[in-house]
Amino acid sequence: MTRNAEAALLVAAALLAAMGVALVNFAGGAGFDAQVALTFLVFLVGFGVVHGALRRWAPEGNPYLFPIAAFLTAIGFTEIYRLDHRLASLQRWSLLVAAVGAALVLFLLRDEGVIVLRRFRYLFLAAAVALLLLPLLPESWPLRGAEVNGSRLWVRLELPFGPRTLSFQPGELAKVFLVVFLASYLADRHLAMAATGRRIGPFGFPQLRRIGPILVAAAASFAVLVYQRDLGASLLLFTLFVTMIYVATGRAAYLFAGALLAAGGGFAAYRLFDHVQQRVFSLLHPFADFTGAGYQIAQSLFAMGSGSLTGSGLGLGRPDLIPAASTDFIFAAVAEEMGFAGSVAVLTGFALLIAAGFGIALRARDVFRKFLAAGLTIVIGVQAIIIIAGVLRLFPVTGITLPFMSYGGSSLLANFVLVALLVRTSHGERS
Amino acid sequence: MNGPIRYLATALFVAFAVLVGAVSYRQVVAADDYRDDPRNLRVAAGRSGRERGLIITADGEIVAASEANPDDPLGFRRTYPYRDLYSHIVGYATLLFGSTGLEETHSADLVSDRDATISGVITAILGGDLRPSGLRLTIDHHLQTVARDALGNQRGAVVALDPATGAVLTMVSTPGFDPNELLGPGTAPIGQALEDDPAEPLLNRATAATYPPGSTFKVITTAAALQSGVASSGTEYPDLVELELPGSTATISNFDGGVCTNGTEVSLADAFTRSCNTIFGMVGMQAGAEALVDAADGFGFNLAVPFDLRTVPSVIPPAASFENDLPGVAQSAIGQRDVQATPLQMAMVAAAVANGGEMMEPYLVQEVFNADGIVEKTTEPVAWRRAVSPATAATLTDLMERVVTAGTGRRAAVPGVRLAGKTGTAEVPGAAPHAWFIGFGPVDAGDAPQIALAVLVESGGDAGESASGGTVAAPIAKAVFSEFFGLGD
Repeated sequence: MTRNAEAALLVAAALLAAMGVALVNFAGGAGFDAQVALTFLVFLVGFGVVHGALRRWAPEGNPYLFPIAAFLTAIGFTEIYRLDHRLASLQRWSLLVAAVGAALVLFLLRDEGVIVLRRFRYLFLAAAVALLLLPLLPESWPLRGAEVNGSRLWVRLELPFGPRTLSFQPGELAKVFLVVFLASYLADRHLAMAATGRRIGPFGFPQLRRIGPILVAAAASFAVLVYQRDLGASLLLFTLFVTMIYVATGRAAYLFAGALLAAGGGFAAYRLFDHVQQRVFSLLHPFADFTGAGYQIAQSLFAMGSGSLTGSGLGLGRPDLIPAASTDFIFAAVAEEMGFAGSVAVLTGFALLIAAGFGIALRARDVFRKFLAAGLTIVIGVQAIIIIAGVLRLFPVTGITLPFMSYGGSSLLANFVLVALLVRTSHGERS
Repeated sequence: MNGPIRYLATALFVAFAVLVGAVSYRQVVAADDYRDDPRNLRVAAGRSGRERGLIITADGEIVAASEANPDDPLGFRRTYPYRDLYSHIVGYATLLFGSTGLEETHSADLVSDRDATISGVITAILGGDLRPSGLRLTIDHHLQTVARDALGNQRGAVVALDPATGAVLTMVSTPGFDPNELLGPGTAPIGQALEDDPAEPLLNRATAATYPPGSTFKVITTAAALQSGVASSGTEYPDLVELELPGSTATISNFDGGVCTNGTEVSLADAFTRSCNTIFGMVGMQAGAEALVDAADGFGFNLAVPFDLRTVPSVIPPAASFENDLPGVAQSAIGQRDVQATPLQMAMVAAAVANGGEMMEPYLVQEVFNADGIVEKTTEPVAWRRAVSPATAATLTDLMERVVTAGTGRRAAVPGVRLAGKTGTAEVPGAAPHAWFIGFGPVDAGDAPQIALAVLVESGGDAGESASGGTVAAPIAKAVFSEFFGLGD
């Protein structure tokens, strides 16, 4: 029964995307055209594939996660289409690939469920580390790393046919693999790690060798920052490690130690790296260097202010003035054209998504699935919070995507896989 | 185990609540500040597609209009039918290059208030008129055309005023540019080419560029001598080939290198007619720096001219700077050294003499009319300052008429009309001289003069090194006078 509700909601999301495209067309003086039909069709086919896989291989799984994801994807897609038709047609392909990816995950886990992943923990760790290191491949190789906007996050693959290259951000998928590894590792070790070694004030601290993982996490995150110059990804990874250890052990001491390390690491990064200093400066004084470092955040504020309560209307604002409007700053673009109403709708969508995710974690009966669901939810929630806070000038701007909404195939695929894992986890509880 | 998950979930929800709070602040509380920030291009962008009001000349020619934009059903496109002819008066309003001219200074009248703001919607519901207003200029289209054609390919400016009101009858700066080419997307290279052009087509030479006024400044030097009582038009001066300047090796000689008249004695009036530098060097020193600078200030030097367009002030250094510098006084008296004036300023000097010594505020916009053609505002003439007494103005008029009838300005003469004028040939180190003519007419006991003008041809124009005010600028003045008095071809 609930799957029927899911189907109806997914069709509604497809309609939302198609109507969004039509509105953009109207604003530009055009009308219903092939783009509207194509968008409706791609959303229908993409989410149809996912929905079919869910009916078949996770029929009791949570029926609201994918509709919420589809809603966010539709909003994001509409704004991408408004900004750049070419990116939108690429994003449609990405949606199909991501849907097949999610269906494939559900297919692979069809018999034993997510629990099977627990056995391959070191495989996932190795895969995650390899993915994180991929962008460091020399630029002369056919499969090579590439630097975009000062951050080395990309891998390009030369295709044997045509002049085309395939680009992807391996870090997006790496974070999902890391959650699987952490959930599995912590499911085995959480009791030992929770044991108190000594007490300092109100906090019970475990023995030093037991907090090894958190130090490793801090070091790894910092390494990502140093080599890839990516503040957002390193903060996301670090938060993931610390909060998952906290979930596993229930010891607030880990959180405080993590916060201290993050503060120290952040301060060191600020002292060591110009680009971190620059971003902090433009956070504090966005208009001081209006034509330089502060330009992007200032444009973001102009966009949101101009959007006001109800927005300029799709296609009637100027989100094209915001640098990286279709990727990191998609939230500002949506805020301009759909207004405060649209912003709150997006924030509500994410809040509902993490509420459902934590609900799955709370109801899970074994620790691995509990940790897995919590970790996956944290990834989506923290990533959304970090980038939206950056766009809203509450936090330094970091180059990470807004899940489901930003343009980018790697991000869409990783987040669809992530939600597929969450749904499959919840399926295990109901059967 | 569920405890930490609940705490984490709570923490994330709190974070989302903070985000909702921040979004509320950015999009509701502080939204207006961000939207109205002058650096927010959306304000200009929102206006660029809007309807803008008509701009027409005094005789009803449309020089700027808005028409439906075929590429944007909700938007309008600005057109300037006369292309470069009004480029420095009307200017343009673009996203890429900003705004200039009346499109900038009168945008409050010209831009439609129709927009999606709540106040706009309420005004529309209450029956308020949101359509843009139009401007009727003081410019005479035929005079403007004649002035532009007379300048031809030469760089320069012509400014003609109604001496009694200050209304600008003609204002041409050459070369101009076609503002139509700056509209719309993809025009960045055209704008860049205009900016890089050494002929400076974007510069309004009439109001925004200053030049040494040369001998046209002798009108002011004479005013200084007359007003301070050190000389009258009959005062005699020794006729020298070369005036040696005290305390320096510098000298002043006449334009042709000879004496002024017969090498014995020459009256101020004859020296004015023939524009003799030697004599006016002496007159300047005799009047003194104080009187000279006071006279120039009286004619509005060193002041911002109140006008519909942006102007730069004309300049004479303060009297104190001439202490122990008599050569500087002598050279300033013939409009050289650090004296600088805009063509608009020199037209106003001629107009002040024509108007009995009273200088009017110049203006370009005669009327603002609403979309139904009903006049909303009419510009009333405003006296700006008294330059000289009526008696001095009468003497200057007499001297200037002799320039046109028997002096250096003969080429400006128009049969049947009594005109007054003064030529100027401003030396520029290392370059051809600037040719000037200022004048007005008709000079008649019964009738007040109807037109005063200034002509500037930069760097001698086509004549180059051999140019003088009398040969290059005066004929252009003649063309404008002829058209104005209905004697043109």
